[in-house]
Amino acid sequence: MALIELEHIVKTYDLGLSKVPALRDIHVRIERGEFVAIVGQSGSGKSTLMNIIGCLDVPTAGRYRLSGRDVSTLSDDELADVRNLEIGFVFQSFQLLPRASALENVELPLVYRGVAKKERRDRAVEALGMVGLEDRMKHKPAELSGGQRQRVAIARALVTQPSLLLADEPTGNLDSRTGEEIVRLFLDLHARGNTIVLVTHEPKLAGRCPRAVRLVDGLVIADGPGREVAAANAEALGAEALAQFQAAERAVQSGTRP
Amino acid sequence: MTRLRRILAELRDAILQAAFSLVSHKLRALLTISGIAIGIMTVILIFMVESGMSASFARQLSTLGPNTLFVHKWKWGVSGNDWWKYKNRPHVNMLDLRALQQNTTLPVAIAPLVNTQATVSHGGKDVKGVDVRGTTDGYLDATGWQIRRGRFITALDQEIGANACIIGADIEDAFFKGQEPLGQQVRVGPNMRCDIVGIFARKGNAFGQTQDLRVVLPLSSFIRTFGSKRGLVVAVVAPEGKVRETEDEVTAVMRNARHLAPDQEENFSVNRQDKLLEGFEQMMKATNITGILVGIITAIVAGIGIMNILLVSVKERTREIGIRRAVGARRATILWQFLCEAVMVALVGGAVGIALAAGAASIIDLISPLPARVDPRVMLGGVIGSAVLGVGFGLWPALTAAMLQPVEALRYE
Ligand SMILES: Nc1ncnc2c1ncn2[C@@H]1O[C@H](COP(=O)(O)OP(=O)(O)OP(=O)(O)O)[C@@H](O)[C@H]1O
Ligand SMILES: [Mg+2]
Repeated sequence: MALIELEHIVKTYDLGLSKVPALRDIHVRIERGEFVAIVGQSGSGKSTLMNIIGCLDVPTAGRYRLSGRDVSTLSDDELADVRNLEIGFVFQSFQLLPRASALENVELPLVYRGVAKKERRDRAVEALGMVGLEDRMKHKPAELSGGQRQRVAIARALVTQPSLLLADEPTGNLDSRTGEEIVRLFLDLHARGNTIVLVTHEPKLAGRCPRAVRLVDGLVIADGPGREVAAANAEALGAEALAQFQAAERAVQSGTRP
Repeated sequence: MTRLRRILAELRDAILQAAFSLVSHKLRALLTISGIAIGIMTVILIFMVESGMSASFARQLSTLGPNTLFVHKWKWGVSGNDWWKYKNRPHVNMLDLRALQQNTTLPVAIAPLVNTQATVSHGGKDVKGVDVRGTTDGYLDATGWQIRRGRFITALDQEIGANACIIGADIEDAFFKGQEPLGQQVRVGPNMRCDIVGIFARKGNAFGQTQDLRVVLPLSSFIRTFGSKRGLVVAVVAPEGKVRETEDEVTAVMRNARHLAPDQEENFSVNRQDKLLEGFEQMMKATNITGILVGIITAIVAGIGIMNILLVSVKERTREIGIRRAVGARRATILWQFLCEAVMVALVGGAVGIALAAGAASIIDLISPLPARVDPRVMLGGVIGSAVLGVGFGLWPALTAAMLQPVEALRYE
């Protein structure tokens, strides 16, 4: 049984006057132990898809089965429990509680799991150790660098030992060197048997994943070994960048702002 | 076990967050808290004054039977316009009393009454707000009170103005735990010492007020100590079924004693208890309505303050709600978290209000002869009331927070 089964997933944002089709007909299966990158241009629906996989959002149509369970049949409380027990989510913008220390942030999911205080502390310390932050546990997010914040967020996602680790552009807000550290961390976690789904803009990162899925306008248009999908995506990105550059040039020439 | 641990950890977290949220918006919290505090204090004080009034009323009523008539300068149950008319009447005095005692035939018993509140002391200990009465030997028959030990005032006591007194059970408890009170002395008011010659049987409460906190003196001794400017009330007990006839006889004797011509208006009143009750009940109703109105207005003003605090807090913490929901918090968790904040504001306000009311009461207690204090039940009511207020007005903002979709909350800037 596949861990993730997405069948004909559709997500449409209703803005009253217009409807935005963010996902149109997504069909993806992900097995336990896989490491899958999701690539695509900005606005292609990557975050929307990740939020659905992470049970933070529900599809407009289609069926999503997580470990064989149809998510649409679950109550709000059950969804909260799934997020707590099965999923670790890493966000592009970290999403840490600003007033809590690194340690308290990592402990939070265990609070909602009813783990005893002592064990909670031990496990949070252990998770922070795995991301190399054992010496920053008492720091508030504001007192940490971007890379360190992202590592706290990863520790929070790992602390519950979830069956699925999701990361939406985890390196998007980091410089390339810190980004590289985070990538190593994910590769390492994958090597230890974790199932990981990761959204990325960077072809280099996608190229290192065993499998990549490419979205265009809410449709899967490529699904295969990371290197190949990433190369195609890079071309597309290149074309997009070129188009943007040309548009900017025209704007400058005609004296308007791009 | 896991569930309980989760609830406890969440509760601790909620309290910490709520406290932090309040501290980081001191001015706003302060305004709302003082609003609640002033409101609760006002309501408590209104009800305190009210219960003070019923206490003094209960003291007066406690001696009355349905067949008892009261000859008094004032017409009971009258308020407002006629005040000056009654105010300018002469007091009922000793001559009137003597006339009633000598010239009436029907009454079963006649007793003069005059009372005041005073401090009674013994062995360095003070009891405030004691109901001190002056009367004569007819008192027991007129009121049905009983002596448990010793004796009551005699005609001789009255004649010579003896320094003798009868004490109520509460006084006995206060000064003479396990001792013999008879033959001991107490000080009544600033400068009268008197020997205890008798102890009343315990009477219990009437209208929620003790009737045993009292000292009875011979009328002559009372007047010597406390002066005669209060005037008397003369209680006249009519025989069963002859209240009307007795009233007529008393009126005739009084008119005669006051030398009133047949066309002259009476300058005294023969009162019945039911009249008094009527007037009193009206007054209590008015006070009650005032208290309730002030309470409602307070609740609304305070409630809007609480709601405002919470709405701002929900807005500010929207992302935090998203984060918590993303890592497994249920809707109920979020709901509790914000309710906790609402209840905390309300409880702090309530506690400050109760403290202010208690402070005001002890100042009143200090500078006036009336005993004033805030009943612990009223305090408890204030605490529960403010908690309910918090939940009531916090519920809607807390529900909006709980109903937020995780993605929406996370996206909030
Ligand atoms: N809450 C929303 N309301 C309306 N439209 C939305 C909403 N969220 C996303 N969309 C639209 O859905 C489409 C897909 O958005 P999504 O955020 O999934 O893209 P993405 O691939 O993650 O882009 P990026 O790489 O910039 O993060 C976009 O056209 C976006 O405008
Ligand atoms: Mg995105």
